[in-house]
Amino acid sequence: MMEQIWFPLLITLQIAIISTITVGVVGIFISYILARRDFRGKWFADVLVTLPLVLPPTVTGYLLVIILGREGIIGATLYNMTGRTILFTWEAAVIAAFIVSLPLMVKTTTAAIEAVDRDLEYAAYTLGRKELETALFITLPLAKKGVLAGVVLSFARAVGEFGATLMVAGNIPGKTNTMAISIYSAFQTGNDELAGLLVIILVAISLLSMAATAKLLSSWKI
Amino acid sequence: MVGIRVDIRKRYYRKNDDKKRGIEPAFTLDAKFDAGNELVVLFGRSGCGKTTTLQCIAGLLEPNGGKITVNGKVYFDCHKRINLPVQQRSLGYVFQNYALFPHMDVKKNIAYGLKGLSKDEKRTRVQEMLHLLHIEGLEDNYPAQLSGGQKQRVALARALAPKPDILLLDEPFSALDMVVRMKLREMIRQIQRELNITILFITHNHVEAFTIADKVIIFHNGSVQQTGTPEEVFYHPNNSHVAELVGLSNIFEDAIVHEDKEMHKTLMLKCGDLQVVANKPENKLTKRVSWGIRPENLLILPLQGNCCIQGENLFHAHVKSVVNKGASKVLVLKIAEHRRLLMAEIANHPFEEMEIETGDECLAKIQRNKIVIF
Repeated sequence: MMEQIWFPLLITLQIAIISTITVGVVGIFISYILARRDFRGKWFADVLVTLPLVLPPTVTGYLLVIILGREGIIGATLYNMTGRTILFTWEAAVIAAFIVSLPLMVKTTTAAIEAVDRDLEYAAYTLGRKELETALFITLPLAKKGVLAGVVLSFARAVGEFGATLMVAGNIPGKTNTMAISIYSAFQTGNDELAGLLVIILVAISLLSMAATAKLLSSWKI
Repeated sequence: MVGIRVDIRKRYYRKNDDKKRGIEPAFTLDAKFDAGNELVVLFGRSGCGKTTTLQCIAGLLEPNGGKITVNGKVYFDCHKRINLPVQQRSLGYVFQNYALFPHMDVKKNIAYGLKGLSKDEKRTRVQEMLHLLHIEGLEDNYPAQLSGGQKQRVALARALAPKPDILLLDEPFSALDMVVRMKLREMIRQIQRELNITILFITHNHVEAFTIADKVIIFHNGSVQQTGTPEEVFYHPNNSHVAELVGLSNIFEDAIVHEDKEMHKTLMLKCGDLQVVANKPENKLTKRVSWGIRPENLLILPLQGNCCIQGENLFHAHVKSVVNKGASKVLVLKIAEHRRLLMAEIANHPFEEMEIETGDECLAKIQRNKIVIF
């Protein structure tokens, strides 16, 4: 019983934390470009990033299976390099969580960066500061509330991710059975006690992360 | 060469592909002027190209053609394909909304542009700037805790801290109240004398332009109309756009000049059926000119009994409305026989003595020595 609780909890947190860190870094970069640069095909980049938000997770999962499979662009390269496939591993679950939570990060962070007064950035440039320095020390600190909101949403989405994860990582006990998937299979097999316990833990994680966010936000004046 | 030399063009199109399709640009900026170590006011209505010019000088916008040099250093040269990044131009820029970094206190804001200095040197420089702008004691405050005037002083301190070659101010005082604005105008003049650098100052307020400028550059519709000392542009505008901008509200365009051979010092200006006598200016006039008179130079006289109107440049007028300007009143007058509207400004006291109200009749005298011909 303990093993049936501990493993899903740890693997879920592992997947969600790695995915959220990656989404945070990549998302901030993409958001800055979308908010502050004009380039050809910007609308397409925007649509591409947002797509997983509107697609059913099973569709996203199916597309990922095609790309990550041994015949797919990424899957084939990885197989040639390492001799193993990524499908049905916890790493595949990280990729699925990353793809489905990226739009949440990008949407909130782009809006937050766009809301920063451009004159502040221009002022920094006229004071001799490069664009990267300005982005790191002026723009992002002023957009931090939006960035935090994006990170929290992405984490929540990664913890609760079900459809795409099931498609790319399966439900392999002791390997890829995350909380959300374990709850479903416990419920299916009539193990109501386990399902209930897992549900309580998941709700507790959600409440804790919300409370921590609220506490952090209230300590920020700007 | 000390100072700034600007000769740039920038085109704006309504739609992105208008240029390819050969459609004329919606707005063209054509700015040409130079200035030494003095306080130069760029003056004009909103949308006339002042801010665009300043942003091109700063490197925040790229002109389509021309050249910008500051203290002999080329900032932009279309032919040589030089476009120095903002960071490498030695300039201070002050924004209308101050643009102070809200997450940094005053001393960090001021020190932000200081690079390559030790901690002690930075501290000394910040203290110097606090002293120069008379804001000692505010260094630990955050921008949100400052008044508008204090914010603008901090913004000036921040812009001046790295010892720029040129200071650019974009309508810096327009959000401030009268008293603070007057103090800061005096301060900016003092700073210019003390640091002896070129300052470009944008405003659309002609009182401000007049009180602080060593030199005024007048913009209208994207191009420089006139350059000169405040006295030159305010008293001798060279066209009706400039005249209107500097407060000559009563303008009569396209007047025919009749020169009287016997009278060497006077001439007649005929504009439709309105005819006035004016002093002959020193420079030679074309056949058709424009003329104008400031509202404060229009004399208002009460109508006395039924006596007939006689006298030079004296007109029978109908008071259409009276606008209170605080210390004075502005009267909108309609000259009876000419259907022309005139604006007259009178101080409160003489106005009260005349007992004139809206709807009354009065006499308006256009003083010939106050007529400006351009």
